[in-house]
Formats: sequence, structure tokens, C-alpha cells
Amino acid sequence: MRVVIAEDQVLLREGLGRLFADAGHEVVASYGDAEQVLGEVAAHAPDLVVIDVRMPPTFTDEGTRAARELKDAHPDVGVLVLSQHIETVHAVSLVALGGFGYLLKDRVLDVGEFLSTAERVARGGSALDPQVVARLVSPYDEQSPLSQLSAREREVLELVAQGLTNTGIARRLYLSERTVEAHVRHVLMKLDLPEGEDGHRRVLAVLTCLEATQPQ
Amino acid sequence: MLTVTVLVEIAAVGLSWDLESRYDTLVYAVYSVTTVAAGALVASRRPENPIGWLFCVFGLVNALMADAAQGWGLRAAEQGWPGGPAAESVAVINWLPGGVGLILTFLLFPDGLLPGRRWRAVLWVGGLGFALALPGWSLSPDTSSEFVDGRNPLATNAVPTEALLLVGTTLFIAALVASAVSLIVRFRRSRGVERRQLMWFTYAACVAAVVLPLALALWNVTPVARVLAAAALTALPVAASVAILRYRLYDIDVVINRTLVYGALTFMLGAAFAATTLALGTALGSGSSWATAGATLLVAVAFRPLRARVQDAVDRRFSRARYDGRRRMSAFLDRLRAGEAAPEGVEGVLRDVLSDPQLELLFYLPESQVYVDAGGVAVEGGFPRDGREVVPIERGGQPLAIVLHDRRADEHPSLLQEVVEAGGLAIEIARLRVELRRQLSEVEGSRARIVAAANDERRRIERDLHDGAQQRLVSIGLALRHAQHELATASADRARETLDGAVAEIAVAIGELRELSRGLPPSQLDAGLAPALRELAARAPMPVHVTAPSERFDRGLEAAAYFIACEGLTNAVKHAHATHVDLRAGREDGRLVVRVADDGIGGAAPEQGSGLRGLTDRVAACGGSLQIRSELGAGTALIAELPCGS
Repeated sequence: MRVVIAEDQVLLREGLGRLFADAGHEVVASYGDAEQVLGEVAAHAPDLVVIDVRMPPTFTDEGTRAARELKDAHPDVGVLVLSQHIETVHAVSLVALGGFGYLLKDRVLDVGEFLSTAERVARGGSALDPQVVARLVSPYDEQSPLSQLSAREREVLELVAQGLTNTGIARRLYLSERTVEAHVRHVLMKLDLPEGEDGHRRVLAVLTCLEATQPQ
Repeated sequence: MLTVTVLVEIAAVGLSWDLESRYDTLVYAVYSVTTVAAGALVASRRPENPIGWLFCVFGLVNALMADAAQGWGLRAAEQGWPGGPAAESVAVINWLPGGVGLILTFLLFPDGLLPGRRWRAVLWVGGLGFALALPGWSLSPDTSSEFVDGRNPLATNAVPTEALLLVGTTLFIAALVASAVSLIVRFRRSRGVERRQLMWFTYAACVAAVVLPLALALWNVTPVARVLAAAALTALPVAASVAILRYRLYDIDVVINRTLVYGALTFMLGAAFAATTLALGTALGSGSSWATAGATLLVAVAFRPLRARVQDAVDRRFSRARYDGRRRMSAFLDRLRAGEAAPEGVEGVLRDVLSDPQLELLFYLPESQVYVDAGGVAVEGGFPRDGREVVPIERGGQPLAIVLHDRRADEHPSLLQEVVEAGGLAIEIARLRVELRRQLSEVEGSRARIVAAANDERRRIERDLHDGAQQRLVSIGLALRHAQHELATASADRARETLDGAVAEIAVAIGELRELSRGLPPSQLDAGLAPALRELAARAPMPVHVTAPSERFDRGLEAAAYFIACEGLTNAVKHAHATHVDLRAGREDGRLVVRVADDGIGGAAPEQGSGLRGLTDRVAACGGSLQIRSELGAGTALIAELPCGS
């Protein structure tokens, strides 16, 4: 996997680089600000761009904006946004684009999970940080369709929203793929979502549904 | 003086009646009386202005010397009274002091001052002419025709009277003409109301300056000359009166207004008293004390309403603008009381009444010592001095407001004053409201700034945590993961190096967290202000001398004092280039006073830095006051006084 890193803090940039290198990936370029990535990314033909949200000059949302532009210009490149804090609105709208990941920075410490997520995104899958998903799923009331889900079904739903495939969910929950398929079918039915989809389109449908259940 | 003149004139008219042409008798009498009357009015109004007294003196001199003496001379010759020729001698030279009076009046009208130093020469020329012409005329045999018996008793050939007279008269007339020119100069220089005041008098003076020498030359040639001279002379006091009455020179119309009001009032009340006494007397029997008492009661009761009515009527007839102005203001006050108008509308009423849409009413705020408009916007630098008239409004000796106003030429000078007096209450209320609004908006502004400052502070801490400590911890985590990887794949030495790097990073993170907590009240404050300040001083990169009491204060107060000291020190470090700071805190007159004085470059202004501004707000929030003394080159002293409560 060819990786480009955009992170303004030197230590973290180097740490990320080492992390990918240790796993046998190739870090083809690393940058300290978002502008440069946009200009030069095409030359490196990366599979994945890892980009920090807060970057110079204003340290607000340079990374998010750069990620969106990057995705517009190069739809095939996976983009993984690293954020310092949980923020649902931008995260969901970005992840809905597909081939997109939104993770909290401290996820990098769980190296195996982080790398598999990064690979998924590079392949065109989606990834939404579990904490962001938890925030989307937890605040529901009696009227919400989420209240009809069992605890296990909610667990499955969260993993679906995080962008995991049935296989991924099965591995995570130590269940058979068939059981997971059944749970997913039930969840989609209860949420009134179309069945038979997998991958990105399913994530999109679930996220849209979860967004709609958010208290206004 | 007026009485004396009138009596003299009555005597003079009586004396000379039928002994000379009547127009002569009457015209000169009118001339004297009007002159003295105008003079008396002016002198009573403006005793410091010599014009009034000049009019009086020369009017009286004219009455005595010309009219009375001439009358006596004529009557004495007719009746064989003594002193006829002597009186006639006096009368004959009368035109000379009369002329001096004219020269002086022309030069000094209307303010009693010469138009310039150079004009003093005119006085000398006139005086010299007077000194030469006086003996020349009085001793000349040529004047004999002026005497009833056709002979000048003083006539002599011992002195060259003709030469004296020629030179003297020429000089005298030159001075007269020059003084008339001085009036023209004055007229050309003047503007507005003054110009109109001068116009009539200047015109009359010019006519006099032409006609009088001409009349003098033709004195013995044709009687028309004498009529012309009298007419020209009479025109002068008339013109002066016009200036005074019509164009309100010397503000005499007020006197006339009052005289009219009280005259009419006295007459009406007197008539009412008499009529009531008569009526009641008839009913109750004459001599009844009830009749007098009833009439007195009636008069006493009627006085006030009647006075208001009469004043109203007089104003309506003679001072329309004032009448309208007062009515509009009282209508506005009525609407104000009824709650239909805002007190700030008083400015609009003033604009209306004075027909000056640019008129401005600026309120004075004693606390901040600034002038503000009705919107509460402060006028920088006191108030604009753009040549407009500035009329101060006071109440109980305290300045309340000022009116900036472009006065129209024909506007009554006291109109504004009267309308303002009538609307004083509205102006005061408006001022209080403006002041209140300003204070309120200041409080709101400071509250908003405090909230904003707190938000900024929170955001700063959040950003410091996110971008500093948190990121560092993540990178330490990554380093540890890397070390883990190295232990599995590479040598233990490589892993040890990585771990050393991670530990160093942890030390930096601890330092960053400590820096971050600086913005929060330090734990030393728990032990009191003095230890906290000493701790603060120890951290400063320059010597700081601390004087602080071991006494404890309210915790909030201690925190405020601590932050003031912090801000002062930060200022001294960052901006003042100070080498030494003196930090004092202590109780003074029930207040906790914090002083931070440095020896730096000075020149700090609260408007320039958000730090000082925030400090001002913080102090204001404690109900205290902050002073910043910072002259360029003299260091900066920051003095905060916080009320202790006890």
C-alpha cells in the first residue's frame, strides 16, 4: 500500500510513518500542511492519504476541507482523516462519500485495528470512528426505531455503521458469518432499509437512517 | 438725568415759544429728549458702556446750552430779564460741544471702544479743532446776527478770530467726517446682527457728516440750512433707537417688554381695585373697610393669572417668536407628561423653535466629563468649535448640556435661553436617560467582553490540550508501539533508544501541562495572596520586588488581585522592556489596592491592548477601578483599587 501522510506535528508524522513502515507499507511522501498535499498527491499515485484535521495556517478544519477536495479530484484514492475530537456532522457527510475514513487520533495506538481500517479505506471501503458511531446510536427515545433493536442487533448496527463488512463483523463478534447476516437482515428490516446491499452503499443507508434519528 | 432734561426742555420750549420759528423750538427739544431718553435706557442696561452716558450728557448739554440758554436769551430780551446776552453767548457756541458729542458717538458706537488705535488721532484733531474754533466763534463779530440785539457782547478784534475759526472749523469738520468714516469701517467689518444694528446709525451719521458742515457753511445764508441741521441731528437718536429697539442692540426690548407688561398690569389692577371699591362701597356704604378688603383680595387673586395673560398678550403682539417658542415647548412638555413624547425629542423642539435644523443639543456627563448626543455617542474633544454659538445650560450651577446653534440675524438673543429654561426639565430627564443608557451599554459591553474572554480562555486551553499534550501522548504511544515492534524484529538497543525518546517526550508533555495550568488560579492562592504573589515574582524573568500583606481577603478578590498582578507583570515583560518591577498589594481605606510599577518604556494605553482592556473589565466586575499611568519613558504603573467590603 502506497501511503501519503499530511500531519503538521513532526513527532506524530514520524510515528505514523514508522507505523506504516513497520507493517510493510510504503510511505511515499509526508507533508506538514494540507495545501501541498492537494498539489502533489497525483505525482505519488498513493492508495491512501492520511490527513490531520487541524493544520496550519488556522488550525481549524484545513484537513477536512483538503480531504473533501482530494476526494473530488481523485475519487479512487482512499482518504483517512485523523481528528482530535468527536464531531458527527462533518464525519458522517465525509464517510458517506465512500473510500473514506474518519478516526480519532488515539486509534493509531491499536495498531492492528488501525492498519486494517486503513487498508479497508484504501480498497474503497468506509470507516467511521466507533465513538462517533456510538454518539449517533446512543441518544434515542421510545419512538426511535432504534429502541426496537436488541442489544446484539445494536452492536451489529454499530459495526455496520463503522464500515465493517459482514466478514469483519463476524470476526469481531466471534460469530459465524451466517448469524451476522441474520442479525443484519433483522436490523435493516426494523430500520426499514433495503436488504441485499453490502459495503459502502449499506453504510451510507445506515448512516442516513441514524442521522435521521438524531434529536433535532 | 432724563427728568432734568425733560424739565429743562419744557422750560426752554416755554421760554422760546413764539420767539423763534416753532419747528426750531420743537425739533431741537425732541432731539434733546430722544437723545437723553435713549442714553438713559442704554446706561441703565449697560452702565459699563460709555455710549449711554454720552447720549445723556450731550443731550442734557444741548438742552441746557442750546435750547434753555437760547430761550432765556430770547425771553430776557423780550421781557428785559438780566443775563440775556450771556445766555445767548452760551447758546451760540453750543454747536461745538454738540459736535464733540457727535464725533465721540460716531467713534465709540456701539460698544464704547474705538474701532482701532489709529482712530485716536481723530480725537486729537477734533479736540484741537474744538480748542481753536471755540474762541474763534465766541469772540467773532460775525456771529452778531445770532444775538437779539444784533451785537456779540464778547466780540473783539484783538484776536484773529477768522483765522482761528477757519482752521478750527476745518479740523473739527475733518474729525467729524473721519468719525463718520470710522462708522463705515465698522459697518463693513461687521456681520449678521451687528451689521443690521449699525446700518441705520451709519446711514444717519453719513447724512449728518455731509449735512452739518454744509449747514454750518450756509448757516447765515438760508434758514433751510438750520432745518436741515436739525433734521440730520434728530435722525441720529432715531437711528440709534431703531438699532436698539428693532435690532435689539443692548437688549433693551426686554426692558420695554417688562415696562409694557407691568404698566398694563398696574393700570388694570388699579382700575379693578377702584371699580371694586366703588361698587362694594356703594353696596355696603362708603368708607366700609370690607370694600377695601374685598378689592385687595380681588387684586391679590387676579395678579398672577392676569400677569400671565398680559405677558402672553404682550409677547404675542411684540415678540411673536418668543410666544410661539414657549407655546411649542409647553405643548411638548404636555405630551411628555402624557407619555406621548420621549424627552430626547426636546432637541427637535429646539430646532423647530429656532428654525435651525442643524442645532445640536449635547448633554454633559459629569462622571466621564464628556459631551454626548441624544444617542449617547460621545463628542470627541469637548464639543465642535465651528463658529456656532455655544449656549450652556445649567441647573443649580451644574452644567447640564450645551446647545450649538447658528443664530439667525433677526433672532432674539434671549429666545433660546427662554425656551431652554421652559424645557429644562425635559432636558434634564433626557440627560439622565442618555447617561443611564450609556452606563447600561458600558456594563453590557463589559459583560460581553468578560464572557468572550472566558470563552477565549477556554478555547485556548482546549487547543493547548489538543495540539499539545494530547498529540504528544499519541506520538509517545506510537513510539512505544514502535519499540514493541523493534523488540520483535530488531535489536534491544534500537528499542531502548526509542523508549528513551518516549520518556523525553513524556517530560516535555509534563512541562506543557504545567504551562497550561498557569492560566488557572494557582494552588498558592490557597495559602493567601502574599505567597501567590511571591511565587509569581519568582517565575518572572526579571527582579520583582513584592510587598504584600499576610492578611486574607475574599477568595474572589484575591484571585482578581492575583490576575491583575499577572497581567501587570506580563505587560512589563512583553511590552515595557522593564528591568525591574515593584509589586505591591495592601489594604488602603477599605480597599485592596494592587500596584504594579515597572521602569520600562511606558506609553501603554488600555485601548491598544486587549490585555489591559480585559483587566479593566475584570476590575470593573469587582466594582473597583483601574488606573494606568504610563507616560512615554516614565515606566508604567498599574493601580487597581478593589472594594474589600469590610
